[in-house]
Amino acid sequence: MPDFAKTFRALLVAGTVLGTVLAVPAAAESAPDAPASSAAPASAASPATPSQTTPAPVVAGEEDAVIARGAYIATAADCVACHTAKDGKPFAGGLKVATPMGDIISTNITPDSQHGIGKYTEEQFDQAVRHGIRADGANLYPVMPYVSYAGMTDQDMKALYAWFMHRVQPVATTPPETSLPFPASVRSAMKVWNMLASSEKPATGDSATFDSQKRGEYLANALEHCGTCHTPRNFMLGEKQDRYLGGGSLGGWYAPNITSSKTAGIGDWSEDDLVAYLKTGQVPGRAQAAGPMGEAVEHSTSKLTDTDLHALAGYLRQVPALEDDIERKARDSFGQAFNAPDIRTAVPKRIDDLAEMSPDRIFDDNCAACHQRNGAGTDDHYTPSLFSNSVTGTLRPDNLIMVILNGVDRTTGKDHAFMPGFNGQSEVERLSDTEIASLVNYVMGTFGSGDPHVTAEKVAEFRKQ
Amino acid sequence: MSSEENLSADVVIVGSGVAGSSIANELVRAGISVIVLEAGPRVDRQHFVENFRNLENKPSYQEPFPAVPWAPHPPNQITPNEYLHTSGPDAEAYQQVYLRMIGGTTWHWAGCAWRYLPSDFELKSRYGQGRDWALKYDDLEPFYYQAEVTMGVCGPDPAVEDLGSPRKQPYPMEALPISFAAQQFRKLIDEKTPWRVVHEPQARNTRPYANRPTCEGHNNCMPICPIGAMYNGSYSVYDAEAAGAKFIPNAVVYKIERDAANKRVTAVQYFDPDKGSHRVTGKYFVIAAHCIETAKLLLVSADEQSPDGVANSSGHVGRNMMDHTGVQVTFISGDQALWPGRGPLETNVIDNFRDGDWRNERGAYLVHMVDDNQVDLATQMAIAKGYVGRELEEQIRYMAAHTVRLFSHNEALPDPNNRLTLSKTKKDALGIPHPDVYYKLPEYTVRSCEHTRKVFRELIGHMHGTEEQWTPGYFPQDHPSGSTIMGVDPRDSVVDGHCRTHDHDNLFIASSSVFSTVGTGNITLTVAALALRVADTLKKELTHA
Amino acid sequence: MPKNRDCPSAPLWAVSPNRMRLSKLLRMSRRDVLLSGMGAALAGSAAEAGEPDAQNGALAATDPLVQQFMVLSQRLTDRDALDARIGAALCMGIVQSGAERKTQLQALHTVLTKEQYASASDFARAAEKQDAALKDVIHEIMTGWYRGVANGKVVVYRSALMFDLTKDAVFPKTYAAGGPFYWTSKPPEVAKPNGLPALSPSKFVVEPT
Repeated sequence: MPDFAKTFRALLVAGTVLGTVLAVPAAAESAPDAPASSAAPASAASPATPSQTTPAPVVAGEEDAVIARGAYIATAADCVACHTAKDGKPFAGGLKVATPMGDIISTNITPDSQHGIGKYTEEQFDQAVRHGIRADGANLYPVMPYVSYAGMTDQDMKALYAWFMHRVQPVATTPPETSLPFPASVRSAMKVWNMLASSEKPATGDSATFDSQKRGEYLANALEHCGTCHTPRNFMLGEKQDRYLGGGSLGGWYAPNITSSKTAGIGDWSEDDLVAYLKTGQVPGRAQAAGPMGEAVEHSTSKLTDTDLHALAGYLRQVPALEDDIERKARDSFGQAFNAPDIRTAVPKRIDDLAEMSPDRIFDDNCAACHQRNGAGTDDHYTPSLFSNSVTGTLRPDNLIMVILNGVDRTTGKDHAFMPGFNGQSEVERLSDTEIASLVNYVMGTFGSGDPHVTAEKVAEFRKQ
Repeated sequence: MSSEENLSADVVIVGSGVAGSSIANELVRAGISVIVLEAGPRVDRQHFVENFRNLENKPSYQEPFPAVPWAPHPPNQITPNEYLHTSGPDAEAYQQVYLRMIGGTTWHWAGCAWRYLPSDFELKSRYGQGRDWALKYDDLEPFYYQAEVTMGVCGPDPAVEDLGSPRKQPYPMEALPISFAAQQFRKLIDEKTPWRVVHEPQARNTRPYANRPTCEGHNNCMPICPIGAMYNGSYSVYDAEAAGAKFIPNAVVYKIERDAANKRVTAVQYFDPDKGSHRVTGKYFVIAAHCIETAKLLLVSADEQSPDGVANSSGHVGRNMMDHTGVQVTFISGDQALWPGRGPLETNVIDNFRDGDWRNERGAYLVHMVDDNQVDLATQMAIAKGYVGRELEEQIRYMAAHTVRLFSHNEALPDPNNRLTLSKTKKDALGIPHPDVYYKLPEYTVRSCEHTRKVFRELIGHMHGTEEQWTPGYFPQDHPSGSTIMGVDPRDSVVDGHCRTHDHDNLFIASSSVFSTVGTGNITLTVAALALRVADTLKKELTHA
Repeated sequence: MPKNRDCPSAPLWAVSPNRMRLSKLLRMSRRDVLLSGMGAALAGSAAEAGEPDAQNGALAATDPLVQQFMVLSQRLTDRDALDARIGAALCMGIVQSGAERKTQLQALHTVLTKEQYASASDFARAAEKQDAALKDVIHEIMTGWYRGVANGKVVVYRSALMFDLTKDAVFPKTYAAGGPFYWTSKPPEVAKPNGLPALSPSKFVVEPT
C-alpha cells in the first residue's frame, strides 16, 4: 500500500495553502511515492550496468568500501521507499500519487542517462539531495526530505553518489510526467520556502567514527528523517522544531510522540524495546509498525546494524520530553484481557441477511479468530494482543481506523506480518463505515483507552485518505 | 414480467462460482464485456462465521448457509431431502450439498487442489473402463498452473514428492507443514506399510498471498474459513468486478433461447426473486452453474426445438452422474495421543491407490486421514456413556486425543442410468422443478470400496485401534460430475474437448458436469482449469472476430 | 424438535468424514423419520431455525432456581468455579426444553441437599437410583456446561467447558490462537482413564438438521 503516498498527500494538502500564499511550487516532481516492492538497496554486490552513455568513472578496488558505505546510506535514508512503484524496478519511480493538486509521479533516480539521473554530476546530485534543487535548476517539492538530508556529511554524499551511479541498475523508462495545474511561478515560491524552512546543518567528519550519541542523532535526523513524520509541521509546511518528534498527523496515520515523555511519548520503552521495534516492527505488549512506519521498518531500519540501531534508540531515548495535549498516560499501558463468556441467543440466519451486527459481534466475527475473543492475540505474538498495545491505548483512534481499513503488510527478514484490510477492496470482508466505527469504538472501549466515539462520517474521511 | 432493461454482453455466464467467476475475470481483463448471472444472493464472511458459531449441529457444514427461496440448495444431506431428491439403490450415497450464492460452493470446501493424473483422462484406452476425455493432461497443464496461481495453491516440490501429475512450474506456494497427528500417521505408514503419505496440494495460504493472510489453522475450512486464508470463488468475483465485469445476483436463469436453426444461443432469461422476467443477450454463453444445476437448467429449457432439453441431442444431459462416493471409519487409536484438529482439516493423503493396472477391474481411490477437532464428538460420546464430573473430563480428553478418522474418495464410472431428471411433483418458489437423481453405485466402485475397507482394517490394526465404527454403506463426497459429459462423438456426449456443446456453437459449459471420468482427486482445480481453458478459447474467438 | 434415541447407535460413525456431515442424523432420518413420521418435525425445525431468538426474557443469576442450578452444576462437574451468567442462560434453556425439567431440577436439588456426596459420580449414581428420569436432566446439565448447548441451541460456544479442559492441546474451531503452523508441535500425552460411568447409558438429544 502506498502509505508514503498518503503521508505526503497530507503534506501536499498543506502545500495548497502554501501555493495560494506564495504562488505555489511548479516544477514539482520527484514526489516521493509509495515503496511497496521489497527491492532493497542494501547490498552493494549487484553489478553495475550503466547505460552506454553514462560517463561512469571507473571505481578502483579500494573504492568498494565507498560504494558499500553508499549502499548503507541509501538504505538508512530509505530512498527506495519513495522512488519505487509497486511491483516496479528499484528506484525507477513511476508511482502515481493522487493529491488535491493533481497526480504526482515519482521520478526515475536510477543512473540511466536518458531516463534517470545518469547525467547528474556529483555536484548536481548533492544539490538535489541536500538542497532540493534539480539539475535544471527547478526546485523540488519538500516531499523530498532534503531539509533532513542536508545534514549528511560530504563523505556520505560522495558515497551515496558513487553507489547510485555504479550499483543501481539503470532502468530505461521514464515515468509519466507530473503535470500540475499551477502557474509557472512556483520555482520562486519554493525558493522562498527554502529560506523559511529550517534545514539540518551538514555534519562534518567521518560519520562512521561518530560516537554513539552523535551517530544516533545523525541517523535520526540526517538519514532516517524521523522528523518528517513525527514532528508536526507549521502552516508553512516546515517542521515545528519546538515540537521535535512530538507527533504529527499525516495522511490519515498519526505518527506518535516519540520523545522521552513517560506519559505522552515512549519514555517507558527500554533501549532494547526500541531496537526490537526498529528491527522487527513489533514489540509485544507495546506496539507494532503499520502504514508508513511499517514501510520504514521494512525497507530501512530493519536493515541497520545492531550498533546503529542501539545508537538510534539511545539517541531517541534522550530526546527532550514533550507532553501532549491529549495523551495523559502511556499508550501501551491500557487494557486487559476480556473474559466474559460468549453467551449466544441467535440461530443461523438466511444467507442474504447481511444486516449490520452489534459491535461485539462485528469484533467476534472479523477479528476474534486471530486476536481472540479476549483480545490476547496468538501465543506466538504473530497476531498481537489488543490490550497493552499503543494502537488501542492512544486517545487518537486514527491508526486503528487506518489499520482496520488498510491492514498490515510488513516484511522483516523472514518474517512477514500480515493482516488483511477491511476496506472496499478487501477480499476477506468489506466493512461499512458504520461497521468500522462500531468496531473501533468497541475495540478501544474494551481493550484500550476507552470508547473514542468515532462516527461513520469520520471513518469515511479516513477511507478517502 | 417483462424486461425493463436491455442487458447484453459479449459473454454471458450463468453461475458465479469458481468456474464462472474465473472466466469472467479472464475475459474482462482482455477487454471483453461480461455479465454473470448468479441465482443466489450476495453474501459475506462475517455472517457465516456468526452462523457457524451459533449452530448447535457444528458438523453440518451446509447448515450455516440457509438458502433463499428463489434459489434453494439442499439444506442438508438427509434423505429424503427437501430439495435434491435422490432415489435408487444408493440414493443416500448421492445426497450431495452445494451452495447457490455469489462465490459458489467453494465457500465451504476444504481447499484440496489436486491435478488429475494423466491416466485419469484416458481410462478407456489405458484400462478398458469408462471413457476417455476429449482432451489430454498436457492440454490442461498450462491451465492447471493458471488455476493454481489464481487460487493460490500450496504444494510439495515435485523433486521431493512427485504427485504424479507432471508440472512445468513449481507450486505458487510451499507445501503446508502437516500436523503432529499427520506426521505420526506418515511415520506409521512409512514403517509398517508399502504405501506413502503425501502433502495434499491445497488452495490455502502458507504465506500472505493475494492480499489474504496465512492459514492459522482454525480447523474450520468447512464450513467457513474465518480469515480468508483459503481460496473461495468470491475472490475471483471481486477481482472480476474490479476489472469491470457485471455480476447480477438473485438472477435465476430458467430459459436458454436459440436461433431458428437451433445452432446458436441468442439469449437467456432469468427470474428475479419476485418472478419478474429479464432477458440477456450476448455473443457467447457459458453455463457454469454446478453439475446439478447446469443439467437442470438445460433440461428446464426444453421447448419445441429441443424437446429433450438444450444441448441434448445425444440424450446424455443429466446422465452419467458420478461422485467420489467413499468409505469411512472412525476408531480410537491405542497409540500415542494425536489430538486431531490442529491445523487445517485435510492436509495429507495416501496416494498409492490413485492409479495402477488393477484399474481395469476396480476403481482408484485416495485416502485421507482427517485432521478434524474431535472435542465436541468426544463430549457427546462421553456424556452418552454416562460419565459425569472428573471422569467425564478425563474421557473427553482421552477420546479427543485418540479419535482417528479415515475416509476415501473412490472412483465412479459414467453410467447413463445414473441420471438427473426434473421432479414432476416438487417445484421451488419460482415454479422451477427440483432435481431428482437416480443412483446406483457402479460395481467398479463397489469393488474399489471393498478394497479400501481391507486397507482400512489393516491400518486400524497397525494403530492398535478399538471401538471401530464404520459409516454404513457409502456416503457422498459432494463431487458430482458427468451430467453434461465430454466426448468426441456428438451422439453420446454433450460437449467437446473445449467444453463447447456439440449442438450449439456459442454455448459452453464450465463445470464438473463435463467430466468424462472422475478420477480420485477433489474436482475443483480441474473445474477451474477447464474454465480457464474455456476463457482462453473465448478470448481467441472474440478477439479474432 | 429434539429427538431422543438410544446411545449405542449414536457413536463415532455419527460424524462423517472430511466435513462431518451428520450421518447420525442421516441414520436417524432413515430409521426414525421414516418409521415415526418425523418428517413433520423436520419441517418444523427448519421453520424454527429461520426465526429470531424465541425467548429473550433471561433468568437472573439471583433467581432461586438458577442458584439451585449452580449448586447442582458445581457438584456434577466437580468444579467450584462456574460462571453464573452462563449458568443462568443454561438454566433457562433447560427449563424451556421440557415441561418437566423445572420439577426435575428441583427434585435433583432435593437429592443433593439430603446427603453429602464426595463426587459428581456419587451424586449422579444416587440420583439415578432414586428416580431414573433424573438421568435425563443430568444429561442436559452436562451437555449445557460441556458443550454449551441447551434446548437444542448454542448458549455458549467459545466458553463451553469442553474447550477449557482441552485448551492445552487444541483450539475451538475458528478461535485458533497458536499462530501459523502451531500444529506441527507435539501436543500433550493423555493417559487412558480408569474412571467408570456413573449413569447407565442414557438417551441423548439430537437436533434434526
